[in-house]
Amino acid sequence: MGDPTVRVKSPIVPVVWALGSAALAYLLMGKTEMPLLEVGVWAILLAEASLVSLPASSGNRLSLAFAVSAALPFVLTLDGTGDLPGTVDLAAAGAASAMGLLGTWMFRTLRSDPADEVMAAVLRHGFGVAAYLVVFAGIVSIAHSLPVPDGNIDWVRLFAFSVAASLWFLIETSFWAFMVFGRNRLSRRYLWLLAVKDWAVVLSLLTSGALFGFAWGELGFWAVIIAGIPYGFAHLAFYRSQESRRTYGQTIRALSRIPEVAGLSPKGHSDRTSGMAIEVGQDLGMTPDEVTDLQYSALMHDIGRITLNEPSILKMGFTDEDIARWGAEIVAEAPYLSHVATLVRQQHQPYRRPGEERDIELPMASKIIKATSAYDHATMELGFSPLEALEVLHRGAAYDFDPDVVQAVRRVLERRGVVSA
Amino acid sequence: MQLHGAKRRKIQIAALYAVLGSAVLAALIWQETFPSISLWLAFAAAFAFFDWRSVEVNDRMLMSPTVMVALTAAVAFGPGTAALGVAAMAPLGAFSADDFRQRRWFQPIANFGQMVVTAGVSVFVLEWFLERALASIGDTFWLWIAGGSAVAATVYGLINYTFVTVAVRAVFEKRDLRPWSNLGQLLPSYLLMGFVGGLLGATYTILPVVLPLVFVMFIVGYLSFASYGQLREAHEATLRGFIKALEAKDLYTRGHTERVAYFAQLVGEEMRFTGTRLERLRWAALIHDVGKLAVPRDLIRKKGKLTEDEYEELQVHAHVVEEILAEVEFLRPMVEIASSHHSHYDGGGYGGVGHTHGEQPSPEACILAVADAFDAMTSTRSYRMALSQDYAFSELRRNAGSQFDPVVVEALSRALGRVTERYGSPHLASEEEARRLAEGRQVTSRG
Repeated sequence: MGDPTVRVKSPIVPVVWALGSAALAYLLMGKTEMPLLEVGVWAILLAEASLVSLPASSGNRLSLAFAVSAALPFVLTLDGTGDLPGTVDLAAAGAASAMGLLGTWMFRTLRSDPADEVMAAVLRHGFGVAAYLVVFAGIVSIAHSLPVPDGNIDWVRLFAFSVAASLWFLIETSFWAFMVFGRNRLSRRYLWLLAVKDWAVVLSLLTSGALFGFAWGELGFWAVIIAGIPYGFAHLAFYRSQESRRTYGQTIRALSRIPEVAGLSPKGHSDRTSGMAIEVGQDLGMTPDEVTDLQYSALMHDIGRITLNEPSILKMGFTDEDIARWGAEIVAEAPYLSHVATLVRQQHQPYRRPGEERDIELPMASKIIKATSAYDHATMELGFSPLEALEVLHRGAAYDFDPDVVQAVRRVLERRGVVSA
Repeated sequence: MQLHGAKRRKIQIAALYAVLGSAVLAALIWQETFPSISLWLAFAAAFAFFDWRSVEVNDRMLMSPTVMVALTAAVAFGPGTAALGVAAMAPLGAFSADDFRQRRWFQPIANFGQMVVTAGVSVFVLEWFLERALASIGDTFWLWIAGGSAVAATVYGLINYTFVTVAVRAVFEKRDLRPWSNLGQLLPSYLLMGFVGGLLGATYTILPVVLPLVFVMFIVGYLSFASYGQLREAHEATLRGFIKALEAKDLYTRGHTERVAYFAQLVGEEMRFTGTRLERLRWAALIHDVGKLAVPRDLIRKKGKLTEDEYEELQVHAHVVEEILAEVEFLRPMVEIASSHHSHYDGGGYGGVGHTHGEQPSPEACILAVADAFDAMTSTRSYRMALSQDYAFSELRRNAGSQFDPVVVEALSRALGRVTERYGSPHLASEEEARRLAEGRQVTSRG
């Protein structure tokens, strides 16, 4: 699939794609007996809903369009004489999806969302929904060929929904990880795990779509309330928890800057160190949770310097170990950050001591902080060039800096374009 | 003696509630039949799940969608079985793991009684509406269901509230009642949840397949709310921990922030602050001195008067930290309160970020000013020993109307009387005496 940024630069691609979708929609419309009006309404709903997005921790833009698409196989069914109940009108659902995605592309482009992002999202959604519709319809028609009593068809649809929705989720997360990989060159595993962390948001979107689809046929407009209120509850919950996660990170970042404004450690050091540490951690294939811990401990790694506020301590002198220990003592006062305190405490330790094997107990995060902090110190305080700083890390690779981490630092610098490969 | 009285009252309340609950249950068993066991089990599981894990949605305000599950179940069971079915679920809520872990006996018994009565009576009310709903068709059916569940939810909320207040008032001290004083805020959410509960129940009767989907939605939303509550708690604990650790370096201000936050909370509760407002006040108190952390210690400890330059340096350091914290959007209102806690009630004094001279500070800033001054007087500082509480109050009252808000001063006095706590030294009555003593003790108190 390559890099979406590069592909969409030519205006031909979106034009061809738009014409293709329009043609597909036209062809599919010929195959269904569903009135154009009804299919059109669903297409417009789908396009409109794509403008309402939910907060997702990965940064993937998940919108209400997922819910509308999830409802399609429930509401667009064949119910002429001779049709079995619940048979999905694939042509109508496909046409509605194609037109809806065309509308999505148009609306979002008019809103001047980044073109590559819109295209990638629309393609992803298209693949996902196609798989969802086909699997859903397939399971329902297989059930029709089995001796399933008509009264149980709703439970068959529920089953079909669960299977098809799981598949869709898998497609969405994998494609997303793949596409962002093309842009930022982060580890695929990291991105995929990040996308999977949004399972609750995706689940609530798809489930409320199904809920609406089921209720619409029997209850009419009451279905809006029955699906809407539980969805609103979930939406509010996501919003709140996303918000507080962000604020929490911001507060930690603000606190980490206290020693800097007090003039006790160099300005911006903790911020730069944590920025680089995150990239190194992602490069080394850490999980999103591990990266968050790494981020916090890198921000906090110099908080112990606030102790230097005390004139008597400055007189007595101090070592790196003291700074690490004081920092860990401060962080340990926050009950939810006890593991971060451990990482801060071990940041000064060499990965191996003379005459010993490498210390396998030493956490990766601590080793990353040691290397990235030293790099920042060399470039910003000592005035070294990036290559000279990298040389410092390489020279310390016998005891101080883990060679794997040093390699990762090198890769990060190459990616940033600071050091040529 | 007092303990004895509380225990006797506990037994009385527990016995009364248990008898009432059992009576309702007996009456329902005699009147109604039990709903289908498998359906009952499914709803009972959901009921217990939600009831055992209430979520804090707003500051100290717990929410649990139990009422919704109860009413969904009621409509699904149908008239003639609903009240008994739901009342039989209610005891499940009484056995929370927390109570067991702490070996409480009173809460489970009292909760058993009050929940059976609450559930039984409110669902019995709902049944009246249900019968009318079932006799009608189309939109009228839905309107009966919606109206009935809203009424039943209100009844549920009111009975629940009454029982809990009576029990808490009889057994615990008055100040434990505070979290329950916000019925006005709770009632709308009860109403909404009950309303939705009824509708979902009705949907179930028409389309049973919808139920698993609804449960999934609520569990997902619920887990997110739980993670939100946990994050917020972590956030506050982190801020609190850091400030405690940072100020621990200084012998004289150690514990100052915690105490000021406590006094501010007491005054806020006394002045009937609730929810977000109380939370803001507490957080503002936590960060009110954070600027000082960046100020070199020798400047803070200096005994003589500061020179102009030194004073300037102190202000700059303090402001820079405040500005950093104000970058966190969430903290901005708290930083504003905190930074104006040196300004005077009459508009004079030194104002903080965003304060114009002559403007009356916000009530929160006034509370913080009083709490800060009270703790400064009743704790030992580098230049003097702690003063007595009476001296501190006479000093606060002398300056009430000019430096301090008189309402806040009196609220603090009442609040301390309410919790029967005293601060400061028991006898030191004058500033001079305290300073003299501090000079004599200088060597030892420096450690």
